[in-house]
Amino acid sequence: MNEYDVIIIGGGPAGLAAGLYTARAGLKAILIERGVFGGQIVNARVVENYPGFPEGISGPELGEFMRRQATKFGLETIITEVTGVRSGNAYEISTNEGNMETKTIIIAAGSEYRKLAVPGEESLTGHGVSYCATCDGFFFRDREVAVVGGGDTAVTDALELSQHCRKVYIIHRRERLRATKALQEKVFSEPKIEFIWNTVVHEIVGDRLLRSLTMRNTETGELSNLEVDGLFVAVGLKPNSQIFSQIVTLDEEGFIPTDQLMRTSAPGVFAAGDIRSSSFRQVITATGDGAVAANSTFKYLHE
Amino acid sequence: MTASGQPRIIIFTGASCPWCGRVKDYLKEKRFRFREVNVERDPDGARELQRRNIRGVPVVLINNFPIVGFDKEKIDKLLGIK
Repeated sequence: MNEYDVIIIGGGPAGLAAGLYTARAGLKAILIERGVFGGQIVNARVVENYPGFPEGISGPELGEFMRRQATKFGLETIITEVTGVRSGNAYEISTNEGNMETKTIIIAAGSEYRKLAVPGEESLTGHGVSYCATCDGFFFRDREVAVVGGGDTAVTDALELSQHCRKVYIIHRRERLRATKALQEKVFSEPKIEFIWNTVVHEIVGDRLLRSLTMRNTETGELSNLEVDGLFVAVGLKPNSQIFSQIVTLDEEGFIPTDQLMRTSAPGVFAAGDIRSSSFRQVITATGDGAVAANSTFKYLHE
Repeated sequence: MTASGQPRIIIFTGASCPWCGRVKDYLKEKRFRFREVNVERDPDGARELQRRNIRGVPVVLINNFPIVGFDKEKIDKLLGIK
């Protein structure tokens, strides 16, 4: 079995920063990624708030730069899925490509889209229901769509869709947006975007293609109908933490609590990035977490 | 089956779609050959998806059976990947 000083799980900004720092510190480190390097930023057409890129940089390109920089210093990477984590004298991690043993773990597995969990969502995904406006916006040119959510992602999606769609509704369960002020100013001045406040999607209706939404007013409980061709779901993220619940404590929402040195409830196990409780969920905080976690790992191994 | 013994695979993709890259990488890694149709550049490809009531990418068409999104479980099952 392969043995490591540290196994980093997740190839987004947090994991890649941790990989860069652990490899440069001379630790025997491997990073496990299940799909694409870059994490959530691969969904971003442009990242405008990561310092050093005054003109912005595309998410996939930034992810690729981070990967190249980390591997340059000796970080090993592997694309496979983690299927189990066990603690004993050392930690054992099982993957589709076999088992590995390690003295420490940095969990940087991030999060994925949260679903609405309403009738019709599952069967109409890909048939009108989408979780990626940049991917699927193309199919809704000159059509009417709705975006559900009130954060930065929902507003960015709505703005992008308004360039091609005839009409965009934003359905939000509260009466004000959570999105940053700059985005709010843009979205409120876009005439094609209409807001439906204090409302949630109750059911997605359609047979092989989305036809309409049944919505419920959160204050009156009243049901209403909205005919749209597409629904873009942007209601936040769910941590990919289930598999780690056997070794570390999770909070109510499934995120991993840490102290400021990124230490979790288990000795030698650290967490970084979006998977952490109360993470700011920005590229810059994720990379910062990764560097701190790497430093804590180094100290733990040399205590 | 094609002459090479593998199922006929077509992947429908879009211009800025991270999951499209992910599904292509996955099939390459598992050594399957496929044809790619970018529906934003290929109107016939776009019409093909419309005809099937599909409004999203990636779509992996395996021997004419469509899988919408990167649904690894379904892909593995249809291609016999263990």
